[in-house]
Amino acid sequence: MTRPNRSAKKSALKATPKNAAVPKRGMSSIVIAALALPGVWSPAAHAENAPEAGVISFKFLHYKEDKREGVDYSQFKKDGHPITVNSPSVYVMAPLGPSWAVEATGVYDALSGASPRYHSTGGASVMSDERKAVDLKVTHYRERSSYSLGVSHSSEHDYVSKALSFGASFSSEDNNTTLNIGLGHSNDSINATDGGVSGDIYGKRKKTNEFMVGVTQAMSAYDIAQLNLTYSAGKGYYSDPYKYFDNRPDKRQQLALLGRWNHHFEGDGSTLRGSYRIYHDNFRINAHTLQLEWVKKATPDLSLTPLLRLYSQSAASFYLDPVYDANDNPIGYDPNDPTQLVSTDQRLSAFGAVTLGLKAEYRIDPKWSIDGKYEKYEQRSNWRIGGQGSPGLGSFGATFIQLGASYKF
Amino acid sequence: MRALATGLPMPSTAFDLLAGEGTDDLGFQFGAMASHCEVRIVGMSRRQAEPLAREAIAEVRRIESKFSRYREQSVVSRINALAGSGQRLDVDAETAQLLNFAAQLHAASDGLFDITSGILRQAWDFRAARLPAPGAIEALLPCIGWGQVHWNGRGIALPKVGMELDFGGFGKEYAADRAATLLQERGVRHGLVNLGGDIRVAGARPEGAPWVLGIQDPRAPAGTMMATMALADGALATSGDYERYFELDGVRYCHVLDPRSGWPVSAWRSVSVVAPACLAAGALTTVAMLTGQGAVEFLESQNVGYLAVDAQGEVHRGGAAASTLN
Repeated sequence: MTRPNRSAKKSALKATPKNAAVPKRGMSSIVIAALALPGVWSPAAHAENAPEAGVISFKFLHYKEDKREGVDYSQFKKDGHPITVNSPSVYVMAPLGPSWAVEATGVYDALSGASPRYHSTGGASVMSDERKAVDLKVTHYRERSSYSLGVSHSSEHDYVSKALSFGASFSSEDNNTTLNIGLGHSNDSINATDGGVSGDIYGKRKKTNEFMVGVTQAMSAYDIAQLNLTYSAGKGYYSDPYKYFDNRPDKRQQLALLGRWNHHFEGDGSTLRGSYRIYHDNFRINAHTLQLEWVKKATPDLSLTPLLRLYSQSAASFYLDPVYDANDNPIGYDPNDPTQLVSTDQRLSAFGAVTLGLKAEYRIDPKWSIDGKYEKYEQRSNWRIGGQGSPGLGSFGATFIQLGASYKF
Repeated sequence: MRALATGLPMPSTAFDLLAGEGTDDLGFQFGAMASHCEVRIVGMSRRQAEPLAREAIAEVRRIESKFSRYREQSVVSRINALAGSGQRLDVDAETAQLLNFAAQLHAASDGLFDITSGILRQAWDFRAARLPAPGAIEALLPCIGWGQVHWNGRGIALPKVGMELDFGGFGKEYAADRAATLLQERGVRHGLVNLGGDIRVAGARPEGAPWVLGIQDPRAPAGTMMATMALADGALATSGDYERYFELDGVRYCHVLDPRSGWPVSAWRSVSVVAPACLAAGALTTVAMLTGQGAVEFLESQNVGYLAVDAQGEVHRGGAAASTLN
């Protein structure tokens, strides 16, 4: 089961890269240098201020996995194709007076397709599901700080997640430094009562606490850097009820360090955004992500953003390769030990992945804008960097297409 | 640098004073930096607004006394007093930031904006309306050039006797920005700071309506507007050949002097620039005046709004100003 939105949406915290004190897009070096002087530009009146205009935006995301080698999709009567997700969403942000703002998002995912029950060399199960999610966030803006409180709720027929989050940000006197902190708690319940591989799963729970601390620093008039450290600790049911050979630890601790660097090119007004993320968890997965985005204005109203993302991870300590013994059990699996930690989920294998994308945003008039995004994801064992990939897995690919429209009011 | 800044729709400044009592549109006049200045605050009672205006005015005065070359105790005077002595003066953070800004400006303008060029006033006497004595400018030119200054980010030394720094090219604009920002940080949502025509908005008029600012006609009596500009945020500064000048044999000699030749510029009667900060707007007007024929191209490259009147009286406008000027 590969659900593109789950991990992102279930995360109670989102680290928002906050721009430095001043807007920089398209500005000349002289203007930027002037705004960089202390006391010349007020965050209270500008950056830190509650937004003055509201925004409503609609997005439609289409996600489709490529067919995997070795899986015979034709045997699945209903769809006969790999997982597809169609996901419309709506986002509303409205200012409430001069120092408050409220944001809300509603998402509906319709998911269908066939997902391998274990390694992508074998059988598959037909899935059809839908997910409804809403979240609501209220932010209070003060002179040099802002505070936000968020709640979210997401439900599928077999999975319900509720989360609560708190965030705060504090800016230094000269506005060049911002400290961000965040706390989050999520409470999930899992009820797989229609086709779990080992019978129905009732009333399983998962609770996660998340902590984030980050610093954003304007390094020069053209450079802004950010460092975020996120730690999350969860307890509960982490296994995948739809997969064979899946018994995962009931605790998960994750630590991620994210560094970002944005550089503005004065000459052509473009911006290069780079980020590097190091991740480690107690499943013994170590992962590295490098991302580069280049925001370039093709015309004053059209901006194009090509994207490259490289990803590499090691396998979880309990991941078993798709090498089977005479009883069709993966080698290393002990059928007589029900407590053995084991998984054959390809997402826990060692692999590398590349994403290439292009985003276009077009401003029709000051109130309306439209955007489109295309991303192609390709994952292969032998693309792992700095180590062996897990053997025996087919490659895996997926396509994201997103279209959106925004209106300011 | 000057623009008419009473703000439109009229009430005039005098009207404001009369109507100001007990109402929420208040103007506080004062004199500083050899200019008529005003702080405007809208949407607050006089009791709330007056202490804030006083604070903003005090900030302007602080900057004036700290950076004026006419004040013996100013940082600038102390730097100038050490010129040629071989001694370096370590400066405070604010002065360092302004010096860095001046250095960036010097680099970005290919040397046209130069805070060491103020000594040219020793050769040019605009009140007496006569040309410099032969050789006077040539004698000063070796003392001009930011590139000669020893500045390491903390300490500064002027290597030659006779060299001088002058913050006149941006001190007033910096003060307008600081005072307006101070007002905004104290909760003012609608207001502006006008220092002799260098204007920084501290929030649009109530309901988000822009301030309507007038731009002086460079060849008409003081107070005659040639255009108005609507500004809800940011700053407006104007540089012109009509503030200090004299005419001799049909040629106008104005106070904007080219640091390379020591002679007045003549390509533009006035240049007005709209930018997020008055400091930038003012610097860009000066650089544009000095750039000569390439000024429009330069201003376009800076991505700012501008209105420029050339030597023939033709008006050039562009950027953000194109849509807001009428």
